[in-house]
Amino acid sequence: MAELKQQKGSMVEQLGGATVRMVGNCGRFSRFQADSLVASFAACFRPATYPLIWNQMLAIGVRSVPVVMITGAFVGMVLAIQAYDQLAGLGIEEHLGVLINLSVVKELGPVLAAVMLAGRVGGALTAELGTMNVTEQILAVRSMGTDPIRYLVAPRLIACLFLTPFLIIYADFLGMIGGYLISVPYLGINSRAYWSLSAAGVEMFDITVGIAKGFFFGAAIAGVSCYKGFHCKEGAQGVGEACTEAFVGSFIIILAIDFVLVVVFKAIYASIWPIKILL
Amino acid sequence: MQEQVKNGDGIIELKGLTKRFGEIVVLNDISLTFEKGKTTVIIGPSGCGKTVLIKHIIVLLRPSSGEIYFHNQRIDNLDERELGKVRAQMGFLFQGGALFDSLTVYENILFPVKQHTQTKDTRKLDEIVKMKLAMVGMDGFQNYYPARLSGGQKKRVALARAVALNPEVILYDEPTTGLDPIRADIINELILKTQKELGVTSIVVTHDMNSAYKIGDRIIMLHNGKILIDGNAETFKNSTLPIVQGFIRGKVSEKDLKSLQVSFEDIKIDGIQ
Ligand SMILES: Nc1ncnc2c1ncn2[C@@H]1O[C@H](COP(=O)(O)OP(=O)(O)OP(=O)(O)O)[C@@H](O)[C@H]1O
Ligand SMILES: [Mg+2]
Repeated sequence: MAELKQQKGSMVEQLGGATVRMVGNCGRFSRFQADSLVASFAACFRPATYPLIWNQMLAIGVRSVPVVMITGAFVGMVLAIQAYDQLAGLGIEEHLGVLINLSVVKELGPVLAAVMLAGRVGGALTAELGTMNVTEQILAVRSMGTDPIRYLVAPRLIACLFLTPFLIIYADFLGMIGGYLISVPYLGINSRAYWSLSAAGVEMFDITVGIAKGFFFGAAIAGVSCYKGFHCKEGAQGVGEACTEAFVGSFIIILAIDFVLVVVFKAIYASIWPIKILL
Repeated sequence: MQEQVKNGDGIIELKGLTKRFGEIVVLNDISLTFEKGKTTVIIGPSGCGKTVLIKHIIVLLRPSSGEIYFHNQRIDNLDERELGKVRAQMGFLFQGGALFDSLTVYENILFPVKQHTQTKDTRKLDEIVKMKLAMVGMDGFQNYYPARLSGGQKKRVALARAVALNPEVILYDEPTTGLDPIRADIINELILKTQKELGVTSIVVTHDMNSAYKIGDRIIMLHNGKILIDGNAETFKNSTLPIVQGFIRGKVSEKDLKSLQVSFEDIKIDGIQ
């Protein structure tokens, strides 16, 4: 009986401890993100940081183009194959273009490109900053009177924020080409019907929304990865764990942001729809 | 207030500095005044909190309780941005060097210079780097990345980086560990020279007693989170405390010897005669 009580006490204790830790971590995370955003905003107006930003843009943006294009192409191709049978069963296989292009532009292009980036860029950011953290290099930046968030995080955040939308354009583009190549030459759908139906079904709004998501995804990837790198535990294992957590964390945040944005954009669309008809 | 008048030359002051990591008390109520233009050496057994102590001086760690003053201005409660200005007046040599491994030796040394001055003149910058590297015998390594340097070479480049801005106060965490005796003595001479010619205040953490005697105007020994002895070379040589004598002679105590023996006798692996 006494033992049970002891355990019960320790369970409450554990729960309490975990809650306190979680609240603490949330606070640290929010503080870090706020500082990073302020520092990034300031960095945009400081020419001295431009070289740092260019370097990060090269590493984060340019080097990610191939993987993002491959992702996009396969998404388009797989969609074409999967959806064809269903639409052909209804006799409306010519609508395949709308389905593919709309899915790619609105959802699959942005989200899968962002997930790809979370793995490629997020992993590299966390590993780099985590190693700098455990070898005291971040401390060294501070010891020389420089704010590590300004020097290390801001350029990475800016590069991610501005380049993710561009990478999404690449993913969208290749997704469309992949879908086309399977639909028209392989499945034998009429090319004119494919494109004219697509043009009628995909609106400028859809494309804009898809690309606009990129800003949020990019900021989320950089924010989570840099945070994990800055707060990783000691040793090689600590860096490894931080990388895993950064990827899982950014993945979940990307999906959550996507959900919120879909709801928000849908409301925006509904409210501008009447105006659009007038135009 | 009275104390401040008495220690008018104090440039850095610690008042009741206590640092806890969870349950462990690493520094326990330490009060110290470091004099301007003097070299203070901090010694003590491995793990006694020397690194933790000097990290507090530049507020890389915040005290659990107690206060830190620099030029009579309290600094332990400043925010990071205000601390930036304070830190620009200090140089810090990390125990492990902490060179930026994505930058070359040249860029490493210019890092603090570029952060705190507007100099754009490449010829002048080249000259600064050359001079600082020559000081530690590393001229010619400008384009190396830290990964290609030996442990001692990294230490020397890190030292060059710590003094790049000609700071008022330089904090050295084991500057001579990992160097050969001649290099170590060159570092000693360097510390003496900066003190004599530039009036730099140095705080040096070391294990090397020869170095401590040579450069230290004042030697402080830490033990169990407290200051055990505070004096000069003579105080140490004359001290009768067994811990101090053991430490400066590098002699193991009977107790430690015994635990060494036990640990060997315990290791018996089955199947090996
Ligand atoms: N960030 C930290 N978290 C928890 N404990 C720490 C931390 N930093 C230091 N310690 C503890 O503080 C104690 C003192 O560490 P410190 O690095 O100051 O030792 P030291 O005197 O510099 O030793 P050495 O001569 O080996 O460098 C150690 O017991 C260490 O475990
Ligand atoms: Mg140490």
